[in-house]
Amino acid sequence: MTFTVSASGLSLHYGGTRALDDVSLRLTAGVTGLLGPNGAGKTTLLRVLATAVPPDRGAFTVLGHDPGSARGRQEVRRRLGYLPQTPGFHPDFTAFEFVDYVAILKELTDRGARHREVRRVLEEVGLGDVRGRRIRKLSGGMRQRVALAAALVGDPGFLVLDEPTVGLDPEQRMRFRELIARAGEGRTVLLSTHQTEDVAMLCHRVLVMASGAVRFDGTPAELTARAEGRVWSSTERDPGAKAGWRTGTGSFRNVGEPPAGAELLEPTLEDGYLLTLDGTGAEVAA
Amino acid sequence: MSAVLEVPAEAGSPSRGGARAAVLALARFEARRLLLSVPVAVAFVGYVVWIVWHGRNTWDGYPALQDADRATQNMPMLVGLAVLLSANLAVLRSWRHGTESRFAALVVSPWSRTAAHALSVVPAALLTAVCVAGQFTREALKPGAVGHGSPAELLVGPLTVLLFGVLGVLVARLVRSAWAAPLAVVCLLFLFVLGTGPSGTDGVSWLAPVVTEPSTKTLPSALLGRPAAWHALYLAGAALTLAFLAVLAAGGRSRTVKAGVALSLALALTGGIAQAARMSPSPELTAARERASVSPEKEQTCVERGGSRYCAFPEWTARTGAWAGVVDEVRSLAGGSAHGQRLVVRQRLDARYGLEGDAALAPSEAAHQVTVGTSWGGNRVPEFSTAVAAVLVAGSEKASGGMCDGRMVTVMWLSLSWQDDPLGALRRVRLDDSLSGSAVVLSPTDPLTMTEGQTDVVRRLLGEPRAAVAQRVKAHWAELTSPGVTTARAAELLGVKGPEKADSCEE
Repeated sequence: MTFTVSASGLSLHYGGTRALDDVSLRLTAGVTGLLGPNGAGKTTLLRVLATAVPPDRGAFTVLGHDPGSARGRQEVRRRLGYLPQTPGFHPDFTAFEFVDYVAILKELTDRGARHREVRRVLEEVGLGDVRGRRIRKLSGGMRQRVALAAALVGDPGFLVLDEPTVGLDPEQRMRFRELIARAGEGRTVLLSTHQTEDVAMLCHRVLVMASGAVRFDGTPAELTARAEGRVWSSTERDPGAKAGWRTGTGSFRNVGEPPAGAELLEPTLEDGYLLTLDGTGAEVAA
Repeated sequence: MSAVLEVPAEAGSPSRGGARAAVLALARFEARRLLLSVPVAVAFVGYVVWIVWHGRNTWDGYPALQDADRATQNMPMLVGLAVLLSANLAVLRSWRHGTESRFAALVVSPWSRTAAHALSVVPAALLTAVCVAGQFTREALKPGAVGHGSPAELLVGPLTVLLFGVLGVLVARLVRSAWAAPLAVVCLLFLFVLGTGPSGTDGVSWLAPVVTEPSTKTLPSALLGRPAAWHALYLAGAALTLAFLAVLAAGGRSRTVKAGVALSLALALTGGIAQAARMSPSPELTAARERASVSPEKEQTCVERGGSRYCAFPEWTARTGAWAGVVDEVRSLAGGSAHGQRLVVRQRLDARYGLEGDAALAPSEAAHQVTVGTSWGGNRVPEFSTAVAAVLVAGSEKASGGMCDGRMVTVMWLSLSWQDDPLGALRRVRLDDSLSGSAVVLSPTDPLTMTEGQTDVVRRLLGEPRAAVAQRVKAHWAELTSPGVTTARAAELLGVKGPEKADSCEE
């Protein structure tokens, strides 16, 4: 197994809050999902791995470079594509100008080659036709694709995406999944999301975080398997369930420890995720 | 640190330049946006329009280049303020639009971005230099141009734009508010307008980018005494200091940056101290100004033209032809001995107070000597023409000073009738630009006075065929130029209706 990202004992405190608690992980090529409730530390972990903020303790390498030193940090940044949770845009820039600007900040200095690269990534995210349009005139989904293009420009080996599908309608989200899946071919993508469907459809691996620590590290199938025999149907909400909700058929879907003789249901990734969070102090009720 | 197997995943990646190349590429990107920003684009368009409009002023066809260089300095102030505002907003862009978190994880550091913003101001300064060069060249190419421009004075405009631009960058690095730059502009204007005198006489006023004097007079370039080169050094040092401080404020703590701050500060201080030390003219300059003012003949070169002598300071010798043209025109219309009178046209000035004083020149007591100033074109032509006519009629400038009789009619007709637009010239030579009533008539030395009656008679004469009036002037020259001749009598001799009231210079 070859690891593109390897982290060991990452910890970070914000004042008295422990945002990261001894996080260790190893990432390989492909899309890795990062699930967790709000405040779990997902964004903090991504910011640390994206070298936007240094950890208090622990160390990590990206593509063999240690960002602990200034030189190593530069080397990591040269190989990094980062799409923050709220990326922000320069509304007066065109899509081309914005991605071009980011490309310069990634040290793509040859104007001709850079412009070719900018056109390439804008085509890749399906914005080739609107590259000359000002960002303030683009829809939310288009803006998010501009942000992805900015992350992809320079062909980074490690792509960090923090909730890229938030606020997108189903069609846009589907489009984005295609893009992320394509981006994961031949590079390492770490995708933070609240959408378990995204993880189920895109990721070869999934991390679940809660309270600053990694609670699960495995394949989506393994996470789903955690709920094997722990999802059942009932006509009323089962008081013993960790979580339960009325489905479209009128029956209740319960997650937890089923009573004897319960009608068991096929578990989903979300069921496994909810059960993983159980006991972590995170809110799991659906 | 965990053991890790490295994966080289960079095959096919676009090639990258170094940090320096990235700063230059970013500076180019920001410079383009800066030049296309609304305030800067409008300022430059306004600047160019002003240059074109200013250059089309036909009255100003005889520039002195030692004045023309300073005339390039004011408009760049406006461009500089626009650049200040736009550069400030450009630096604040990532904060205002929340892109800082993304950029924090990119290769080019915030201080490198600040350096790029500071460099992005340079093209605006260069464009200003092109405008300055265009404005000055246009003046220099005018056939009547004289004197010498100073490269240091020409640098002030571009350096002002550079200084204001990097100030905008620094302000953005210190205060993350879009209001800071407009407030800085207001503070600067307040400081320049109220904190310093416009005279340029004290060291404080020379801390401003552009230092103007109240006087409009033109002096030989060697007598100006402006520490222009030191001022340019001061501005360049100040601009570099602000730029390096901005980089420092953005986190650039490298030895190069610290050395840059120290070196540029030293440049600014050297320039500032040197220019302050030259506020008072040196003994040599004082002596030269005294010589030029009191005994100009020792400094001047004289040439003979058409039977008259023209003495000018070295930078003005090319202008003697224009003076001679006026003298020849006026003298050709005169009668008696004045028709062939040899005149001495001497250039005079009062340089004793440098560019501070604007005192009028005393009339010359020498017979048949006419004073000409250092300016030419526009109103200066009919003023000089009037002085020539007055000396031909009265014998000297001193004698013509108290002239308050019918001779004024002859003087003004001689002065104006040969010109392309005699009535226009009459309007321009009178202090109140009027064509009726009494008025003060300007000349290079003491002014003359026209009564209402004299004005009416002159106006009527200018409406008559010039050849016919010239014939009568020559025929009655002796009586027309006799002290005490009345305006009514002069009108009668010249064949036009006279005034109804008696002459009085007190009216």
